Amino acid sequence: MIRIPCPNCGPRNSSEFSYFGELGSRPAPDAVDPAHWRHYLYDKKNPAGWTTEKWYHASGCRKFFAIERNTLTNDVKSGRPFGVESSSEESS
Amino acid sequence: MVARSPIRARGPVGREHGWEVSTTARKGGLELCDLTPYSKVLVRAGVLSKAAEVLGCALGLARRAPDGTLVAGTGPGEWLLVSGAGTWPALADEIGGGDPTALTTVVDVTHGGFLIRLSGADSRRVLEKICAIDLSDGVTPDGAVFRSSVARIVCDVIRDDDGGVRSYLLHGDRSAGQYLFDAVLDAGSEFSIGISGYREKEA
Repeated sequence: MIRIPCPNCGPRNSSEFSYFGELGSRPAPDAVDPAHWRHYLYDKKNPAGWTTEKWYHASGCRKFFAIERNTLTNDVKSGRPFGVESSSEESS
Repeated sequence: MVARSPIRARGPVGREHGWEVSTTARKGGLELCDLTPYSKVLVRAGVLSKAAEVLGCALGLARRAPDGTLVAGTGPGEWLLVSGAGTWPALADEIGGGDPTALTTVVDVTHGGFLIRLSGADSRRVLEKICAIDLSDGVTPDGAVFRSSVARIVCDVIRDDDGGVRSYLLHGDRSAGQYLFDAVLDAGSEFSIGISGYREKEA
């Protein structure tokens, strides 16, 4: 079982959440070419280690938030609402 | 015209405020009661808005307004108001005319959801079988509110002790009402759970 720390509800079973992929900044649709847009949609870093992800608490507060998760060990460092920066967050 | 709860009324049936309700007498002990006819109003507003100030209830907490309305902070910027059947919570009118620049929505969800009350000393043990949240007094004391999966159904759970007896209100989408009612009954069978009829006013 993975416990996800929801910033609103506290730690909950991962079955209450939906995974929405790696966190990255969405480019402006009218300011990028199709190749850039395709890269944003489909090319993921998929690191073996710490990564920042977007999750949705479907069975709780119904909010999106970001967590840092280790993809090898499933350790989770923190959960935070969007707009709150993390020191280790990578930009893509 | 008669309104019906999604939960089939068992035993003798009567009418209250246009709703078909069970009139089965209370027996005491561990009980499950369908309170769907109660007025349920959903409020959405900013957490720093005038409406939030009037409601006076943070996420994860519940309180009783002077008119008896139960105000529960069910989500970030989201509240559930519960009052007696056929009534409209006075608070819902107060928040409507607060700040014209802030977006506030007040929606009557009485007919769109179910509301059941599980009460009795063993209610915690019953709920623990179908809900993964820590229900100890330290984490969820009287007045605590959370939304979580209960028997795989998303529910607002409000710890609302009834005259000193441990009690939980469960609120969720109408379509899941009968299933959840049966799931709670099933979980409570080993604790001799009983069904009690509709109560106009609570203790």
